[in-house]
Amino acid sequence: MIDVTLTLNGTPRTVSVEPRETLSDLVRNRCDMTGTHVGCDHGACGACTVHLDGMPVRSCIVLAATCDGREVRTIEATRKDETFGVIRRHFHEKHALQCGFCTLGMLMMAADIIARHPTPSEDQIRNALSGQVCRCTGYMGIVAAIASAAEELRGA
Amino acid sequence: MKSANFEYLRPTSLPDALDAANDETTFLAGGQSLMAMLNLRVTSAETMIDLSRLSELRGVNETPDAVTLGALTTHAMIEDGAVPDPSGGLMPRIASKIAYRAVRNMGTIGGSLALADPAADWPCCLLALDATVLIEGATSREEAIEDFLQDAYTTTLEAGEIIRAIRIPRNTAPWGVYKVTRKSGAFADSLAICVLGDAPRIALTGTQSRAQRLRRAESALHGDLRAAILADLADADPDADAYKRRCHLATVLAAIKEAQS
Amino acid sequence: MHSETADRWIGKPLLRKEDARHLLGASQFVADLRLPHMQDVAFVRSASAHGRILSIDAGGAEPGTVWTLADLPTIHPLFAGPELGTFRNAVYPPLADGKVLFAGQPVAMCLGANRALAEDVASAVWVDVEELPPVIDAVNALAKGAARLHDDWPDNGFIHSVITGGDIASVADAPVRMRRRFKMNRQAANPLETRGVVAYRDHRTDELVVYTSTQGPHVMRHGLSIALGIPEHRLRVVAVDVGGGFGGKNRLMPEEIAMAALALSVDHPVRWIEDRNEHLIASVHAREHHYDLTVLAERDGTILGIEGSIHVDAGAYALWPSGPFMETSMAARNLPGSYRIQHLNIDTHTVATNKAPLGPYRGVARPGACFAIERLVDELAHELGIDPVEIRHRNLVGPTEMPYRTGGGLRLDNGDYPTALDKAVAMIDLPAVRARQAAGEPDGTRIGVGFACYTEQSGHGTVEWVKRKSRVVPGYETATIRMMPDGSAQVLVAIQSHGQGLETSLAQIAADGLGLTPAQIVVRHGDTSISPFGFGTFASRSIVFCGGAVTKAAAALAEKIRAVAAHLLQTTPDLITLRDGAAHGPQGSIPIPEIARAANIRPEALPEGMAPGLEATATYEPPESGGVFSYGVHAVVVAAHPETGVTRILDYVVVEDCGNLINPMIVDGQIIGGVAQGIGTALYEEIPYDETGQPIATTWGDYLMPCAPEIPSFRIGHMVTPATSTEHGVKGMGEGGAIAPPAAIANALTDAFRDIGAKFCETPMTPRRVSDAVALARGEE
Ligand SMILES: Cc1cc2nc3c(=O)[nH]c(=O)nc-3n(C[C@H](O)[C@H](O)[C@H](O)COP(=O)(O)OP(=O)(O)OC[C@H]3O[C@@H](n4cnc5c(N)ncnc54)[C@H](O)[C@@H]3O)c2cc1C
Ligand code: FES
Ligand code: FES
Repeated sequence: MIDVTLTLNGTPRTVSVEPRETLSDLVRNRCDMTGTHVGCDHGACGACTVHLDGMPVRSCIVLAATCDGREVRTIEATRKDETFGVIRRHFHEKHALQCGFCTLGMLMMAADIIARHPTPSEDQIRNALSGQVCRCTGYMGIVAAIASAAEELRGA
Repeated sequence: MKSANFEYLRPTSLPDALDAANDETTFLAGGQSLMAMLNLRVTSAETMIDLSRLSELRGVNETPDAVTLGALTTHAMIEDGAVPDPSGGLMPRIASKIAYRAVRNMGTIGGSLALADPAADWPCCLLALDATVLIEGATSREEAIEDFLQDAYTTTLEAGEIIRAIRIPRNTAPWGVYKVTRKSGAFADSLAICVLGDAPRIALTGTQSRAQRLRRAESALHGDLRAAILADLADADPDADAYKRRCHLATVLAAIKEAQS
Repeated sequence: MHSETADRWIGKPLLRKEDARHLLGASQFVADLRLPHMQDVAFVRSASAHGRILSIDAGGAEPGTVWTLADLPTIHPLFAGPELGTFRNAVYPPLADGKVLFAGQPVAMCLGANRALAEDVASAVWVDVEELPPVIDAVNALAKGAARLHDDWPDNGFIHSVITGGDIASVADAPVRMRRRFKMNRQAANPLETRGVVAYRDHRTDELVVYTSTQGPHVMRHGLSIALGIPEHRLRVVAVDVGGGFGGKNRLMPEEIAMAALALSVDHPVRWIEDRNEHLIASVHAREHHYDLTVLAERDGTILGIEGSIHVDAGAYALWPSGPFMETSMAARNLPGSYRIQHLNIDTHTVATNKAPLGPYRGVARPGACFAIERLVDELAHELGIDPVEIRHRNLVGPTEMPYRTGGGLRLDNGDYPTALDKAVAMIDLPAVRARQAAGEPDGTRIGVGFACYTEQSGHGTVEWVKRKSRVVPGYETATIRMMPDGSAQVLVAIQSHGQGLETSLAQIAADGLGLTPAQIVVRHGDTSISPFGFGTFASRSIVFCGGAVTKAAAALAEKIRAVAAHLLQTTPDLITLRDGAAHGPQGSIPIPEIARAANIRPEALPEGMAPGLEATATYEPPESGGVFSYGVHAVVVAAHPETGVTRILDYVVVEDCGNLINPMIVDGQIIGGVAQGIGTALYEEIPYDETGQPIATTWGDYLMPCAPEIPSFRIGHMVTPATSTEHGVKGMGEGGAIAPPAAIANALTDAFRDIGAKFCETPMTPRRVSDAVALARGEE
């Protein structure tokens, strides 16, 4: 086992992991934060998306040990965040989720898309969501929610 | 779907990393290929040396003729213009279509070159830009991409050698790109890149072996282009079936057309 | 958005109750359960497609960490498939029993403190297999001399059956005979949450508790009870949040049985979370239909009959409860589609092969049948020089002909199919598409427009399932409504809502029945210990069956509430109405919480002789057992590159009629999600096997899931023909979206290359297939 010292959702922590463990293992199994979901475990679905030093990454293909000294933010830390609050409301209103399994990955991506493209076009949103699999919704609600959340956040 | 275990080292300087490396070492850069392969247990590691703390592999060096990018430069940094672009827009365009944004935030240009996946974007792009690879090991060397790429998943990298940086000559010539994938962000079935200028360069990947220059086509840009491309394809991807040949021909023609327009 | 003061909730696009927990990342899926001392399981799976197991070597593992069938308590065989003498049984053992019949079949299970450690154990286990020849092609599998999967079968057929309607001989001399072959390839449901099981013995309740990601906990409990020999009252099956199912979680799978058996054998909880690789090689596979059909028609395009054969490649075993035959018979019976086709003669073969067993996936059989008939209709139009829209009009069942029994024996209840087609043609703006087509594309791609009509049977009850010889007859659903002393209510149901929003739509139904708001109602589901028996969520049945049961339970409860109110207001129950949270009489009102209080904790306030309590249970089966039919038309415009074969969707229109809508927002969500899956079937998803029986698509790098750039924005046109036989006039609609896209897209591709006559007869229409079809038509290599 090795120790990984990182800032997880704003709190400095030291977590013991096996070298092979991924960031998703660390978050879900060592820290019992199960809001981060695993849909494929090989980097192909985006369900496990978290922010590492402020950027979305796929936690199933990020080695936990390499996060030493870095800052990790999972969906759990966004529950009281205002920007995320707006994005959530638009997801709710635009029926952007059905089973909810992809949702937190979509939210983590949505926040990044809006940060990088304050006025995203539909094409920009769709391209930026490439590789984020949602099996249920057909993406229309998700795309619409991100567009309208961006609009509201721009006004704010 | 979990990796087998390994030893883990995180050196903080290039000499330390080279010292620690031996024949059984696996280097970790962004992990965006390696971690998936480990999870799937299609590969395993004895000792993992994490390169992410090597400042020597980061940063940029600019000269009037070229830009040298540290091996740890991510696809996203290139996409976003967070590092200088020597290519006249080609590299950001290529970067923006590699995999998915969250993968691009981690994946590195050095890792992509070292892996030399026959369907990957950077080997083809860097070949079209005539880049060179700066390698550290028992000795340091600088090698043309052309020589560096050997075959599918095969380069001249010896065990324990590390790519430090990639030197890319500045390009102002028009270029064109055409990529065929089965869906967005998937590896290319065929990717052609054409860079015009005094000595036009056309590179193709998605073949059975490695990214290749299409030299007959390069010199037939104003002649019988189709015949030249087909002759090149016979060398570049000799085992290509009818579909692959059609597909390659179409991507090469489209890349040239874009460059010329 | 609607305020909570409306007086009718049915029909409103109420935002979903289930969203909040998911949006906070606070939902609970099986993988999220945390139990003390829980150990993870990794399965050892067969690397061979077909072979006899000579030995299993535990690879030096600690005792008690590797489990084979012999180490588990006795497991009773679960016979699956239709109760037909002609159906050959192929019981799927929870762990391999001497033979392995497909690559990926579970052979042993390994325990570890976490999944990685369990996989370490599994990777050291060595299974020595004597290889047998693999059977991988469903048509050749029936040839004389083909290797056989099941030693006690004379050949590889699960069942051979001829599905007939009308009298095909009577149209034998039809002026037009046209033969075509079609293939819909194999895929898997691929919900984003894979399967998963947590099982443990609860000593307090003396129950074996099995958490499993399933669509039907009660039915799974029944199957587990038979397999394990444990009475059902000592088994609790719970489906917590389920991350999508689409049919793929509606069979009792060997892993579930093996996990339950393991939990009985160890003294700690055990957990298995399927990984994506396991899902692709060993979950419920779907489709793989081969059609060889001849259409018989008049020169004016009137279709008289269809004859030919269907082979369904059913994989190695029969999945409990239904087995694979329903796939085949439904494919044949749905061939007439939305058309007046009276004569049908289809030779069907359900064939065992060395592949993962076949089961249901959204649309069950109908995406294949729709692909076949809608492609046939277009081919016929082309052959006869008739416009594809016009030939459809000549054959569609008209509204005045309803109810109409097709040659496949299905009773199309009501609707206006021709108007739906006209509406789709108008919405897609056919003249504009034709103009663009004529102008040509600057990038050399070709534009094409395609149409496909479909019907979707739902709400079929006892008689229909008995006709299908179903082992478990999902002929009804049950609901209990329990009102608490404060006037809030729980609706307890046996369905499982895993994305369909039933926590919301059932609350809307109950709210209307009880004069409450949906916020005062909570819907609980997915747990055998909280609701009466029921069958679960599949076959587009929940809103019809469970919605009906909730309506009836609410009516029964409302009757009692009115009786209490009448007593308190000194009037008669028939003069009481329930609305806005109160019972209103001619002279005054009384809040429902007061009635609830009286009924539950102040029984002295009740009319004499009335039993206390406010709870009602009702079962419901729609009176028309043949079901009701949603229907619709899809229209799509594609752009395809003739050389690279890359196909993009430019526009997609859905016209659909599913009767009355309980929650229009949820209905649209189901349509869009369904169409997206249908696009996956049409263009991207496939699980091929090589000639040695190895599956080729083993990761999501090889198996392509459509993402936002692949899926267009849809435009939906609603028509509403209320069902006459169901509560609220609803029709099920969960699957419809997925049925028509392969047909519509193939027709659009055909249209794009009509000048050269390229044919698109196999899904998915990958760049390679499209390019090859064009090259073939052009006479190139
Ligand atoms: C879902 C998905 C889709 C993808 N699609 C594409 C695509 O379309 N096109 C594409 O080009 N790529 C694609 N990739 C791969 C991605 O671009 C990777 O980032 C890249 O190939 C590897 O870079 P890395 O930094 O992640 O390397 P790692 O995964 O860390 O390493 C890859 C290999 O290179 C070696 N290595 C890494 N850095 C060095 C170095 N400096 N010196 C010596 N050896 C080194 C490692 O030991 C390892 O063998 C995809 C990846 C994923 C997960
Ligand atoms: S679980 Fe990490 S990308 Fe799918
Ligand atoms: S809501 Fe189910 S996967 Fe997106």
